[in-house]
Amino acid sequence: MPSFLLTVVLGIYPIGWAMRYMFYDYKGYGAERYIGLDNFARVLRDGEFWQSVVNTFAYAGGKLALSIPLALLLAVLLNRGLRGRHVLRAVFFMPTIISSAVMAVVFFAIFNAYNGVLNQFLLKYKLIGGAVDWLGVDHAMLTVVLVSVWGAVGNYMLLFLAGLQNIPADVYESASLDGANKLQQFRYVTLPMLGPVSQMIVMLAIINALKGYESIMVLTDGGPVGKTNVMFLYVYKLFFPTAGTGAASQVQEIGYGSAVAFVTAVIVGAVTVLYFYGSKQMNRYA
Amino acid sequence: MRTIGKTALWAFLLAAALLTLFPILVTLLGSFKTNAELTAGATILPTSWQLSNYAEAWRQANFSAYTMNSLFVAAASTIGILLVSSMAAYVADRMTFAGKRLYIGMQAFTMFVAIGAVVLRPQFELMIKLRLQDTLWGVVLILVSAHASAFFILLSFMSGIPRELDEAALIDGCSRGRTFVKIVLPLLAPGLGVCALFAFRGAWNEYLLPFVFTLSKPELQTLTVGLASLKYGVSAASQTHLMMAGACLSIVPILVAYVFANKSFMQMSAGAIKG
Repeated sequence: MPSFLLTVVLGIYPIGWAMRYMFYDYKGYGAERYIGLDNFARVLRDGEFWQSVVNTFAYAGGKLALSIPLALLLAVLLNRGLRGRHVLRAVFFMPTIISSAVMAVVFFAIFNAYNGVLNQFLLKYKLIGGAVDWLGVDHAMLTVVLVSVWGAVGNYMLLFLAGLQNIPADVYESASLDGANKLQQFRYVTLPMLGPVSQMIVMLAIINALKGYESIMVLTDGGPVGKTNVMFLYVYKLFFPTAGTGAASQVQEIGYGSAVAFVTAVIVGAVTVLYFYGSKQMNRYA
Repeated sequence: MRTIGKTALWAFLLAAALLTLFPILVTLLGSFKTNAELTAGATILPTSWQLSNYAEAWRQANFSAYTMNSLFVAAASTIGILLVSSMAAYVADRMTFAGKRLYIGMQAFTMFVAIGAVVLRPQFELMIKLRLQDTLWGVVLILVSAHASAFFILLSFMSGIPRELDEAALIDGCSRGRTFVKIVLPLLAPGLGVCALFAFRGAWNEYLLPFVFTLSKPELQTLTVGLASLKYGVSAASQTHLMMAGACLSIVPILVAYVFANKSFMQMSAGAIKG
């Protein structure tokens, strides 16, 4: 059973490992000291961490608010007999197959304030007065969200399409016989029948949005001044402080990092559960 | 009224398609521009097509090594994932054994519970114990261990193969191993194909794992890692053309595969929610 062995050793064991170090003061070298719940007390006082939680929710909220409606709209438009719909679907899905790290490098070249492609374009056509610092303090979060939306819409479009195709055509027929126009059909037929599927898609999107940090790491590395620092990036930096820009701004904090990771896992879990029950309630009253 | 609606619809769809393709086009076209032209911006097509960008990236910026490393990691982990998960799916579907439910539960657990970077550290320390921390085999091994999604895909394909076929082989005196290789694997081929596509894409695009493992070994970096490190370099601004060429090296192979097999790519992602 090689599969069993690999799963246990490389999948389960590390989780147990982290569970243990939550209660220790361990910086990657020297002695490890049992300190009970002190790490968790420190999490509560850690302003930088809670700022990253706020950032995560801003990031996830922005990403969801843009990508889900857009994906649904595209899915509805491309569901029925439109010429060239297969090509368009393939185009919209394309970003999801490309490495997010590679695209982050490309987007860095596009959004760069001084010689970025976007600014040059906007300046040439006089759409903006001066260069906009897309990755600066004011716009970094917006840029990061846009990049993530670019990478995510295609995937959710496809999932919505799969859901739409499960709605039988005769339901629409009888609706139009009863005199419902396209908009009414969408409101009273498509949306309710898509309910369970969209519930799952949104759940998936929430989890993905909360835990995505790879492209943020390459694009802004959490900066400027922590504006785009999300929870998982914060955890990562506690474990690998020298990685990234090469500036060793922090010390390695394995014990504390494990505790923070546990708290983030609990937060993600809590959001998921809350959403799950919340949407169930909504279904009941809808 | 109808034509107006149609025009608006198409305008919207084309605008969206253009926005989607824009970054990819910037990369493809940018990879042929000189650095001066890139930083001056404002041209769409390159004024002269610079193939030398690729030559420079390939020779001086070490992209030949990066490409080889990426190929190695992607190929080795794809083979590993296919081997491990096909055997696991066969056994989990056709046999009963103690702890089977626990095993399947663990697979699902590793897929859904993500605690992020935390697991990288113990994984890294395990690789030090195995003396694999300085090779890409460590990366491969960890990628292979994350085979839960391939396992579940193959499990659903497995249940679509009639039991009678391999049971007949067993009754005829064929051993378990031979039955698996001669009967089950060929029938599983479509599933294996999709899994291979996914495993290869995943490994080829992986960033964090090879990044952490090659912090002290720049010559082992994969395309994604090498590319991102260009961005952090001191001379980043003077190397935009190399970034673009490097990004193309990473994007184009996957893009070509996508053009030929976009149905399978999309089917699989959609299947994830239906199943």
